[in-house]
Amino acid sequence: MSKRKRPEPKLTGRDPNEAHEKKLLDFIRSKQGTGATMYELKADKTIPPTMFTRLVNSLKKKGLIKDVPTMNNKGHKHFLAMEFEPDKELTGGEWYTDGTLDVSKIEDLKAKCVMILERHRHRVVTLDVMCAYFVKEEKLSEDQTKEILKNLVLDNLIIEVKSTGMNEFASTRIGEVCYRLTGKKSGNGEARAGAFASIPCGACPHIGLCSPGGAISPTTCVYFQKWLDF
Amino acid sequence: METTEYGIVYAVHIISVQFGTVVSKVCECLLRRGPLSSRDISRLAKSEINHNQVKDILYLLIQHNCVQAFSIEPPDGSESKATVQYLVLLSNILHRGRYNKFSRVVNEELGSQCGAVLDGLLCNGRLTLGQLIERDQDSEKPIGSEVIKDSLQKLVAARFVERIPSPEPVLANKEQEPAKKRGPKAAKILKEPETLEERVLEAATPVETIRFPLVFEQDSNSSIADNDNNITEGKRKQRDVDLSPTSNEVIWRPNFEEFIRRLRHKVCVEIVKERRDEGCAIVMRAMLEVGRSQEKKVKTDKSVPMSVGSIYEEVIKTEAGRTMLQERVEAYLDQLCASSSYLPAFVIEMDSSYIVDFKSIISVAQKDEMEAVVMRRYGKEAFRMFRYLSQEGRFVETDKIADAALTEKKDTPQILLKMWKDSYLHMQKFVVTGGGSGYASFLLWKVNKLIVTRQMLDEMYHASLNLSLRLTHEGDSEKELMMLSSKILKNTSDGALKERVKKVNAKRMLLSASRFKLDDAMMLFHDF
Repeated sequence: MSKRKRPEPKLTGRDPNEAHEKKLLDFIRSKQGTGATMYELKADKTIPPTMFTRLVNSLKKKGLIKDVPTMNNKGHKHFLAMEFEPDKELTGGEWYTDGTLDVSKIEDLKAKCVMILERHRHRVVTLDVMCAYFVKEEKLSEDQTKEILKNLVLDNLIIEVKSTGMNEFASTRIGEVCYRLTGKKSGNGEARAGAFASIPCGACPHIGLCSPGGAISPTTCVYFQKWLDF
Repeated sequence: METTEYGIVYAVHIISVQFGTVVSKVCECLLRRGPLSSRDISRLAKSEINHNQVKDILYLLIQHNCVQAFSIEPPDGSESKATVQYLVLLSNILHRGRYNKFSRVVNEELGSQCGAVLDGLLCNGRLTLGQLIERDQDSEKPIGSEVIKDSLQKLVAARFVERIPSPEPVLANKEQEPAKKRGPKAAKILKEPETLEERVLEAATPVETIRFPLVFEQDSNSSIADNDNNITEGKRKQRDVDLSPTSNEVIWRPNFEEFIRRLRHKVCVEIVKERRDEGCAIVMRAMLEVGRSQEKKVKTDKSVPMSVGSIYEEVIKTEAGRTMLQERVEAYLDQLCASSSYLPAFVIEMDSSYIVDFKSIISVAQKDEMEAVVMRRYGKEAFRMFRYLSQEGRFVETDKIADAALTEKKDTPQILLKMWKDSYLHMQKFVVTGGGSGYASFLLWKVNKLIVTRQMLDEMYHASLNLSLRLTHEGDSEKELMMLSSKILKNTSDGALKERVKKVNAKRMLLSASRFKLDDAMMLFHDF
């Protein structure tokens, strides 16, 4: 004989544990998008400590709360009331999925940006054009598009310029924000390669431990050896 | 900038290689302890070096412009004599590693004969005209005394060679100077207090007309001969270390200041060419030529103002700029004055005059060096964070950095800590106490350019030392091979031997070339 699944009991007020559950639920709701950790819940001394896990699981089963892993520490969960979305501090922001930064998505978007700018190598591309493309094709918001472009500026792959209305800016409004590639081919000059960075010591994480005649020294250094083995 | 640890170690290494370990011990003593008298040096050297040896060593170091003697006036009413102290000149020691660059400047500008005279002065530190002529006569291919004299005059006229400074200038006792009342205008112009080295060098340097005489003779009776009457006022006194020649001839030495100025100008033109274009570089070169004679000090932030007319006159003197119209020059000046989030302005326009902003140009190359190291040593994500913090120029909290650089929030603190441990970032902890039992702590990060510059410079000295030591090591490990004459090696049919020779030479070339380029980077941070 199959058993009929009983409907989930709602808080009726008759179960003595319901008072505790209501107390917890009210506390979790008060935290809104930041949620509450088990540590914070257990600060309430009126509830016996051994009951917390059961109470929280009961609220979850009733569909009243959910748990959200924090991107800073996946071992610790935050409990949110169902009606609230987790804050950026918990999830990490729009670029995070399940508490992890979506690096491949970001790199992919950056590569597409660079491709668009390469097609317009000797001209500039306005912010509006970039936003229009990414909002339509990649379903990004304007703010997300700006974040990707700012990240490429930090990578020193593109530069942000303001239109002067002349020469390569002829088809843009004066003062409009535009982007172009860095590098000699784009007419923007190239950053120096770095004389110090091009020798082993420049890249060495142990330079502080290195000394003539020491355990790590220029005559025994493996990085030097590799560099000179050609 | 204060001397760094590896600045001292590298300088001691240079002296040790060129003059031996005993000389380097005296040098190290002065570098670590500051100016000392000869008695103090022998006392600190304990039984290793006696007082007479110390005097001889000081003579040698003064001869080679690595040390300057001086004394400080005793306080009024005091019966004590002024004690002569010796100040080591770290910059001049480091210049010893770049004499080939100085030679190249002279060979390119004044020709090989002037280059030969300069080489004599670089090898020997300081010489009279008579000594230069003698040296030429003893050489394999003498060029003659008239050519030597003529070349020396050209070198002095171009400021590449100068008369030696005063052997023992006397500094006023600063404690005794009455406190000057500052008017409101004087109070606004705040001058940085002079270091002891600056005071000593200023006191030792003769006036322009004596330092770079227009006409000079070899004659010992000449009114500009090197006796005390011409250099310092006061009675001729018995010197602690006497360098005066027996014939009272003028003694000449290389003027390192001018070489560094020329190299600074050269690098500015290179940076403008790399970041703008050839046309802008031609205009920049002309501007530097116009303003050069009026530069008071090497590390000047800005040039004197110059008109378009004077710039244009200089541009059309050059082969590359001969056919340029004034309108074109003005267009290049506009380009040089333009700034963006990517590049600062290299030239400032003010009241129809133009001023070269040296500090701005040099900062571009310094930034490239710093960022290249961060990228190679700490990776792409650290590079983005470093650039973000450099742009912000203020303390920023960890999560905000992670958002801007689009890096994993939980990985960001480790990356920042690595840079902080090596002094590439400045960090502060910020604790906020809440109303309840808890508190929150935040880490704030910032790029402090002075601290990073000092750290990078120290590491570059360390790296230059490492390259020198490795170069010596490569030579020592193939000593036998190096001793075989090049003729034997050329004629041998032993393929393996030829291969070995090729490899050793390639390694030495790479190490030398790297040291040469690294020295350019060191000058960017220390001398320019």
